[in-house]
Amino acid sequence: MAVLALNVSAQGRGAAPAGRAGGPPSARAAAPFDPTGYWVAIISEDWRWRMVTPAKGDVVSIPLSPEGLRVAEAWDPAKDEAAGEQCKAYGAAGLMRGPTRLHITWQDDNTLKIESDYGQQTRLLRFTGVSGASEAGRAGAGAKTWQGVTTAQWVMAAGGGRGRGGARHGSIKSVTTQMRPGYLRKNGVPYSDRATMTEYWDLHTETNGDQYLVDTNVVDDPVYLQTPWITSLHFKKEKDGSKWDPSTCDARF
Amino acid sequence: MGSLNLRREVLAMRRIVFLAFGALAMSVPAFAQIELTGSYSPILYEDYIERGPGSDLGDFTGMPMTDEGRAKALLYTSNLPSTVERQCLAQAPWVLQYRPLGMRIWSEVDKDDKVVAWKIEGDYLRDTLTIWMDGRPEPSPNALSTAAGFSTGKWEGDTLTVRTTHVKTTWIRRGNGIPASDQTTYWVHLTRHDDLLTVVTIQEDPFYLSEPHVVSRVFKFDPRANQGGRSICNTANEIPRLEDSGIVPHYLPGQNPEADFMMRTYNLPKEAALGYAESLYPEYRHKLKGVYTPPASCGRYCCGWIERQGLPGAAPGLSCNDGGLGELNPVVKGKQDEGKK
Repeated sequence: MAVLALNVSAQGRGAAPAGRAGGPPSARAAAPFDPTGYWVAIISEDWRWRMVTPAKGDVVSIPLSPEGLRVAEAWDPAKDEAAGEQCKAYGAAGLMRGPTRLHITWQDDNTLKIESDYGQQTRLLRFTGVSGASEAGRAGAGAKTWQGVTTAQWVMAAGGGRGRGGARHGSIKSVTTQMRPGYLRKNGVPYSDRATMTEYWDLHTETNGDQYLVDTNVVDDPVYLQTPWITSLHFKKEKDGSKWDPSTCDARF
Repeated sequence: MGSLNLRREVLAMRRIVFLAFGALAMSVPAFAQIELTGSYSPILYEDYIERGPGSDLGDFTGMPMTDEGRAKALLYTSNLPSTVERQCLAQAPWVLQYRPLGMRIWSEVDKDDKVVAWKIEGDYLRDTLTIWMDGRPEPSPNALSTAAGFSTGKWEGDTLTVRTTHVKTTWIRRGNGIPASDQTTYWVHLTRHDDLLTVVTIQEDPFYLSEPHVVSRVFKFDPRANQGGRSICNTANEIPRLEDSGIVPHYLPGQNPEADFMMRTYNLPKEAALGYAESLYPEYRHKLKGVYTPPASCGRYCCGWIERQGLPGAAPGLSCNDGGLGELNPVVKGKQDEGKK
């Protein structure tokens, strides 16, 4: 049993340690790093597709299915506006690649709140101890929303947290389902309500104190994608919210 | 008496078990880490044009360049690397972030099976990247710069953090002249999640970058890919008129005809097209709003995956554009072949 425990830990896939009272600690108490604060997206990749709205039909880099391409070619922002769906590019699967700042706080001991100033969206990462689409599905059997339902768990790394004073390391794995159909890209590149988004969140602290939050992001959609769309996004920590700049959803820009 | 003997035996057994588990525990390295060994394929879902067909000339979007870096980049012409003496120049050690092929990672161990170094080979690397894990000090700043540079690494949880210095002056990114000086330092984080490897590079260059240049990419563990073999670079005379001419292809300052290519093609402002750091942050959109209008249609490389797989443009009437591949386009070729029958 002890050997098994050592091996699990060495592989970096052990669960957070149980609390002294015997029950598991809250997600906030178990956190191996502090994800809270203000973070800004650095648009150093795919600038022409993330910072501005590209031309209609510019779907390069995204493994769309033929049906996905057909829908992208039919993009009509006026139609979205008329239908009150200006936020289609601000759903969880599109939001994270947007030119946004994030404000991350603990809503409660087991829920991480991620707000964006870009489109003023709010994502909630609910730590359940189990991360998976089925769990997310059970958690949110209600109406589908732009941000869907997200379950999360800490994945504790090897080498940290053993013994006194040892630095603890780990990442967040989250799974989002129950999303309302939206756009992966502002120019109408679609994802369906059957899409699932899996994310791995890591914090890197540099020797000069700079901190980067990296979101390795996997969007899987059996309707509009041929294969999962895998990207990574990086956000730099800011000292305060002085640059927070809320904007409303815009179907065109 | 019997119960006393039994108690001694139990205590002895406990001692043996304790010592056995203690020895086992000690055999687990204090910082046992994720295994990185293997072949990794790049996932080209970001900056596909740069990593696939190649960037547009004058495309410095997403770069925080200094005026000096920008000026140097605009002297560049794509004929320059075709000169015989430049065809095999060193590429930046972490150029794999910008290339279409993958990498191979393996470890080298000492007699006690302790990892001394991680090694990386990949497309366009002109040397094997060695990441020393044995705590050796960095060489003097005056030590030789090499194609691979000098790298040290340490584990931070499941992330291998690397510092690379002593590199050569190179071009980085895009094949359109964006430079990196030999004073460049790379901080790199390699994190494996299941079969995905996320590589974050933070590049600092006191000459050509106005702030750290951060890029994150995802690679996929792919044991069948056999990725990353170091290519052998052979030179050849690619442009006959340059042979023995002594000509160094270049544009004079202010005379690069492609300096405004991104502005006229994609309606981008100069600061965005030519790599001013302010354009990397969301607040820059205030300057863009009212100025930027999307091109009327997608001009090049629009179809991406659909066309690459030889699928027709999904439905009649689609304006999918192959980027001028012409006969190389599998759809066009298919139609031509059909016509010949």
